[in-house]
Amino acid sequence: MNGKKKENHSSGRTSAVRRHEMRSSLSRILRDLIRRAEKLEAYKAQIWLGLWAGGLLFVWLWDFLFLNAPERAMLQIAFGNSMFIASVVAIWTMVLGWLLAFALEFWEVREKTFLKTVGQFALNLIRSLPQIVGVLLGYVWITYLMDQGRLAGSVSAMLWMAFFLSLFILPEVVDMLRERIRHFRQSDFYNAMRVLGIAEWRIINDDILWKNSRIHLLNKTIAVFASAIFLQCSVDFIISVGLSTRVSALNLPTTLGSLLANIDSKQDILAIGYSLTHPWYFPNLFFVHLQGISVAFVIIFTLFALFKMTNALAERFHL
Amino acid sequence: MMRYRVHIKSWQRTLVDSDVFSLASNEITVLFGESGIGKTLIAQAIFGLLDPDELHIRLNGQDYKRYLRSQEVRDLQRNGFFVFQEPSTHLNPLLSIGEQLNEGSLARATNERPILEALWQQSFERQIAPLLKVYPKPFRPSGGEKQRFLLAMAFKKLSLRNAGMPGLFVFDEPTGSLDNRYRNIFLRELMQAYAQNPFTCLLITHDYSMISVFERYHSAMLPHVHFKELRRKRGGKVEMIDFEPRAYTDWLSKQRATSGKFSAENTVLKVESPFRVFGKEFFFAGENGSKHHTLQVRGGQLVYLKAPSGLGKTTLAKIIAGLQKAERIRFELAGIPLNEQSNQKIWRRHIWGKRLAMVFQHADEALNLQARVRDVFKGLPGGEATDPQKIQQGLKDFFERSVNERFLNQKVAYLSGGQKQRLNLLRAFLLQPQLLILDEPLNGLDFESLRKVIEMIQRKRAAGSGVLLISHNEEIFDHIIPPKDRYRLHTTT
Repeated sequence: MNGKKKENHSSGRTSAVRRHEMRSSLSRILRDLIRRAEKLEAYKAQIWLGLWAGGLLFVWLWDFLFLNAPERAMLQIAFGNSMFIASVVAIWTMVLGWLLAFALEFWEVREKTFLKTVGQFALNLIRSLPQIVGVLLGYVWITYLMDQGRLAGSVSAMLWMAFFLSLFILPEVVDMLRERIRHFRQSDFYNAMRVLGIAEWRIINDDILWKNSRIHLLNKTIAVFASAIFLQCSVDFIISVGLSTRVSALNLPTTLGSLLANIDSKQDILAIGYSLTHPWYFPNLFFVHLQGISVAFVIIFTLFALFKMTNALAERFHL
Repeated sequence: MMRYRVHIKSWQRTLVDSDVFSLASNEITVLFGESGIGKTLIAQAIFGLLDPDELHIRLNGQDYKRYLRSQEVRDLQRNGFFVFQEPSTHLNPLLSIGEQLNEGSLARATNERPILEALWQQSFERQIAPLLKVYPKPFRPSGGEKQRFLLAMAFKKLSLRNAGMPGLFVFDEPTGSLDNRYRNIFLRELMQAYAQNPFTCLLITHDYSMISVFERYHSAMLPHVHFKELRRKRGGKVEMIDFEPRAYTDWLSKQRATSGKFSAENTVLKVESPFRVFGKEFFFAGENGSKHHTLQVRGGQLVYLKAPSGLGKTTLAKIIAGLQKAERIRFELAGIPLNEQSNQKIWRRHIWGKRLAMVFQHADEALNLQARVRDVFKGLPGGEATDPQKIQQGLKDFFERSVNERFLNQKVAYLSGGQKQRLNLLRAFLLQPQLLILDEPLNGLDFESLRKVIEMIQRKRAAGSGVLLISHNEEIFDHIIPPKDRYRLHTTT
């Protein structure tokens, strides 16, 4: 009896030890997972960049398999055009923003009141117009040029579109850069360098904007890229729906916004609403209504991924 | 003996890695070491003040969250106190000073008035009581007053302590905003409290002249005072080693006050007394107390300007450097007459980097932390200052090591505080200005760097530059600069 008791006791102890070991190894695995997740936190922006690329690749593969060739080609052109315009907007806005911010601050330091007032007035004039209205006015100019036959080729039309978009996104970039310059102008390092005879243009451009604001610039570039896509899609959608055929978006290069306003895409989007009341229709969205769904997905997913990237950068670098 | 192994890492890099950090129980440990080496971080980690979610911390091999839950850290906090180096960050702006002096367990200590009177050496009713009603703001009370209130809190907590209780009192740069008189009063009060009821104390400081104060006034307590230094080893680890106080006192005794060779006609700075800033009249006095001197610096002369903390020494330096406006002032800088109405264009065109160079007091703020070491010298005016060979030689002189590519490409932010300060000084020393203003040039330096910087200042003077020095380190500069070259800044209000 005693032997059995001892056996039971020892087997009980063994299982207790096992349970303890299992618990501790489980908690070790959990801790390890948490640590890995924490490490991944630092690469959130890169992860979202990867997810964006992956998502776009997935849509392209799906469309390659299930969307007819002419519509797929149109989608590719629209996507390419939209990305081209947004990239040009991002580059122009950042370059123009840098130049203008530097000029305004430099004129302020050098007490060039007239030049500063003119620059500030021009910036405020742009700021006084709502972005979308400003871009629409820009499109009026583009259609006028087209009407006059002065705008040949889609690249020059896209460059004009990019110019107007960047013009109306410009103020927020200038504000951000000026805020950075002003922040550092209050600091000792700006004065410490000036007193040693280092030129102001070098301190502002190299030390403040380049060395101390690169992450801000990168973050803003991504945000500008996203703004450009959003504005462009909004305006292209509006003019594609609202303008007469005399001055029609058909003359302008195809973009994601104009493709979304296309009659086929509109029907595809309406199908989403239909599938809400007729759930068995839902699978058709991914095979029958692919053009509109793809365009909508690319726009929304791109904006969402870009938003997540800027947020991740802001969190990581405490912007 | 309380022994600690501390490892602190941010997501980017290791901040502190120390295998040996020990505090003698119920003794006083005075800890020196260049700024940025990790003294404060280690003390805060031990006292349980760091955020385990912000940093990866291991203390004695265990996870920091577990350490924070331990009885050990609770005892240290319950029976101890932490005086932060920046008094403004310690005080709550939404509670009056009086309320904060009686917050929590401090309310049980009823000896507030004698402590305050001892630290102020002034009438309680007239000078101290009005301050108790003040809600702390960045500008009021002054830095020195805020610091004394924090010290008063620590002394109140000390009076509550029963003998034998485990606890830790950390004084992190407790005299950073105090002049020498109040520093000595604080040390006197500390030693009296210790003599009555010994406690474990960690006193973090850069002020090597404390050694002289201990030796001069508290020699009987010296067996209970341990001078230590935190030093970086090869491989990045830091170690706590014994600091031999004689190394400092012997070096100091060898310093001789010499005026150097300068010509009376070669005046590079002449500031008339009095001048007016922020509604206050200021004037210069000689070391012997004679008033209304004209502050005068000649080429090849080292002039020392003293004043209590917060009085306006740095403000005056900035006015001379054209970075700030006075309400009324007249001065002459290397032959250029200037006053409160002078346009900054004059400084930009004729003075900055040519006739004048100034070294700001906080290297952390005066240098672009995102720049690489080699970038610090970019854009300096004049051929010599940008000559790579001259820069290399200067770096070798200041850093006493082979200056390799890795060091030159290192980000300034990742240098230790002492290295930053030396870089901050070197940048100005490469220029050949007629007047060099040095604002607290010994800030954040360890003893080795301090000796080197003194040597470099002397060399600069010998090369013909006039040097205007602003510093709290009176003991050191009084040894180097003769009384006739020392001025005191006073205000009439």
